[in-house]
Amino acid sequence: MRPVAQASGVSRLWDAARRALSVAELALGIALFLLVLLLALFGVALQTHDPMASDLMRRFLPFGAEGHLLGTDHMGRDMWSRMLAGLQWSMACAFTANVINLFIGATLGLLAAERPGWTRNVVRQVADIFQAFPSLVAAIVVVVVIGDGFVTLVLTLGFLSWPIFMRVVYAEASSLYSRDFVKAARLAGVSRLAVMFGHVLPGLRASLLVIFALHFAALLIAESALSFLGIGAPLGVPTWGNSLAESRQYVLVAPQLLLVPAGAIIFTVITMNVLGDGLAAYSRRRGRGIEP
Amino acid sequence: MSAAAPLPVVEVRSLSLRMSRDRSAQEVLHEVGLRIGAGEIVGLVGESGSGKSVTALSLLRLLPAGVARYGEGARISVLGRDILAMGEAELRRMRGADVSVIFQEPMTALNPVVRIERQLCEVIRRHRGGSLQAARALSLSLLADMRIADPERAMASFPHELSGGMRQRVMIAMAFSCDPALIIADEATTALDVTVQAQVLELLRQRARAKGTSVLLITHDFGVVNETCDRVYVMYRGEVVEEGLASDIIREPKHPYTRALLSALPGRGLPRARLETVAAAMLEGGEPVVRAAPLPPRVLDDTRPPILETRGLTVRYPKPDALWGRATAPLPAVDGVSLVVRPGETLALVGESGCGKSSLLNALVGLVPHEGDVLYEGAPLRMPRSGVQMVFQDPQGSLDPRWPAWRIVTEPLTVAGRKGRAERRRLAAALFDRVGLSQDAIDRRPHEFSGGQRQRIAVARALSVQPRLLLLDEPTSALDVSVQAQILNLLMDLQDAAGLAYLFVSHDLAVVRHIADRIAIMQRGVIVETGDTATVLASPQHPYTRTLLAAVPRLETQDSLKPIRG
Repeated sequence: MRPVAQASGVSRLWDAARRALSVAELALGIALFLLVLLLALFGVALQTHDPMASDLMRRFLPFGAEGHLLGTDHMGRDMWSRMLAGLQWSMACAFTANVINLFIGATLGLLAAERPGWTRNVVRQVADIFQAFPSLVAAIVVVVVIGDGFVTLVLTLGFLSWPIFMRVVYAEASSLYSRDFVKAARLAGVSRLAVMFGHVLPGLRASLLVIFALHFAALLIAESALSFLGIGAPLGVPTWGNSLAESRQYVLVAPQLLLVPAGAIIFTVITMNVLGDGLAAYSRRRGRGIEP
Repeated sequence: MSAAAPLPVVEVRSLSLRMSRDRSAQEVLHEVGLRIGAGEIVGLVGESGSGKSVTALSLLRLLPAGVARYGEGARISVLGRDILAMGEAELRRMRGADVSVIFQEPMTALNPVVRIERQLCEVIRRHRGGSLQAARALSLSLLADMRIADPERAMASFPHELSGGMRQRVMIAMAFSCDPALIIADEATTALDVTVQAQVLELLRQRARAKGTSVLLITHDFGVVNETCDRVYVMYRGEVVEEGLASDIIREPKHPYTRALLSALPGRGLPRARLETVAAAMLEGGEPVVRAAPLPPRVLDDTRPPILETRGLTVRYPKPDALWGRATAPLPAVDGVSLVVRPGETLALVGESGCGKSSLLNALVGLVPHEGDVLYEGAPLRMPRSGVQMVFQDPQGSLDPRWPAWRIVTEPLTVAGRKGRAERRRLAAALFDRVGLSQDAIDRRPHEFSGGQRQRIAVARALSVQPRLLLLDEPTSALDVSVQAQILNLLMDLQDAAGLAYLFVSHDLAVVRHIADRIAIMQRGVIVETGDTATVLASPQHPYTRTLLAAVPRLETQDSLKPIRG
């Protein structure tokens, strides 16, 4: 029994409140995420117009205009439909890039943790270089050289921002590899792969989930930023970044054009952050149960 | 002693305590009474969960306020003041100044990023005031009193730069720095090596005697009680079951639990006799049954070919050169060790922390590179090998917390080839049976078992592939005395049934005396003495063996108040 600092009634209440909050956070995160996911998957059905169809007679309509829930843009295109189309594009892009990140980062992290020595040193140095180089600048260079498009964008983001996964996986896997149960398995003759898949990867699941959610938000922002700069999605594709870029010229005439894509980005990013934090708090509490 | 002094330093009467996290309040202390006279050294003995630490923490009301609920009529008075009625500010002044606490692991009690000097001076100045120079001078003299060789250097060190024994001395110096009337030492020497423990206990005792300080010594070790304490309280499941002079209780324990606890101690009765376990003793009408029926003497045939042999085994850890990452010539951690383990016998490897016994084990199983030969049944040992299995010290760390027990114990079996889930579960149930666990428990995960049960699972895993040799790395050090007795019994039973050979690494001479046929004493990477257990322990030849033996806290003294060797 360790002495715990005297907990007053207030701090106990605070404790209980925090516990409740963390559960609420996770629930809220999951609910918001499901909403975003459903909109991304089935949003096409909710589109009231073709997001590309312009109607020059009905330009700059305000929110709530007849037939146009979120108004229209400078070409008279329906903002609601364009927002849903942008959601689909952004989610697909961030998700695919994130999967690539996860795959590269986790593989290298596991490799570095399993083979201390020069393998580890090389992996860590490479990760350092990738992380030290401003990835947005690198992305700009790549896109400018190769050209834009969904695949380029995804591959660029996917191959540039994996170090965070590598670092987390490396740190946690190293601590797992030093545990006696891994030693016991190795001494019993269990193969490297079996140890990796049986003991190490299951132990990483919780943190990988958390990083995946949080990094997803970062990728959403990166994708929008690149599109905004005109080098992400091809011009004309209804993404949030493109919509933002186009609305820039009309800020004084129709400021609401800015609000729709900006609001969508903020909402999605917050959703992923809430989900990530909720997952982190949940796995921390659950971890205490597993290893008291 | 001053047991009958008019004003006791501590007086606890009918202390009942419930701890509640949720609505269910569990009674952890029941009508505990405790009295410590001025200048008295009182022991509080019990196993984990007996309530000894909770009792001690209650003396300063250090338990979380909302969680601990004191029963009606409970009275705690320290230095004549009513602790339960005191305000928080008043209590805080009392802690550290009038009463100080020494904990088991000084690393957690010291701030790792602050030098010793600042930590000591801060404590002194907070409670005594005065200039920094005065505090520094006092700190230096306190450290010198603790026989720290170079106090100036210790002062300038960070906690991690000091050894465990040094850190504990710093903690004791800190505890004495404000001339407290009472010091609570909560398992303060449990984590230390025996030779260091002997020194630290002696310092604590001498210093307390010189200053007239009362000490409450919490421990699970009757040897420590015998060598240090005037009086003792024995706790069991939240109650004080026996109290009295330490020497009386050890010589003639009255309560069945005390008797059970004493007879669970290895190294007292006949070697290899079954140890009494507390649960068994308490079940059988409170009368521990003496089953020390003389066993047939084990005849060890030294002509048989050894199952394990090392020749000139040497382990060097390359010290990385700071600049180039090249290795510089290192000191060997294990230096030319030659050992022999014969089939069916137990060889104990004994030494203190840092002597190289873990390096030796790791070299045996190929986890660290080594020079010299390791032969298993006459041929070089290459792990993995089903004949050689290992059991680790801490079952908490050696079992994957995410796996159900049946998967854990059958993991080594999967190496030979795929096995179906049903077959693995059947094998697991059989293994559970062999190590004395209920077959119904194979679906549970490690955290649902107690420490002793977890170690049984670890043994079951090692047994799954029918080994002939088990490497046991301090397998009972993390366990309570009565649980240790169960595991030692299990190991001896398995050895008798299956003719297993053990290489038993330990720091505990009592355990070794009980279980080992032969013994090898290791110091600084070298085996300094080896021979059969009885001979080595009865007439140690090497000075280090003698030091080690002398440092073990004993029960077999006539007078508990005899001075400790200086």
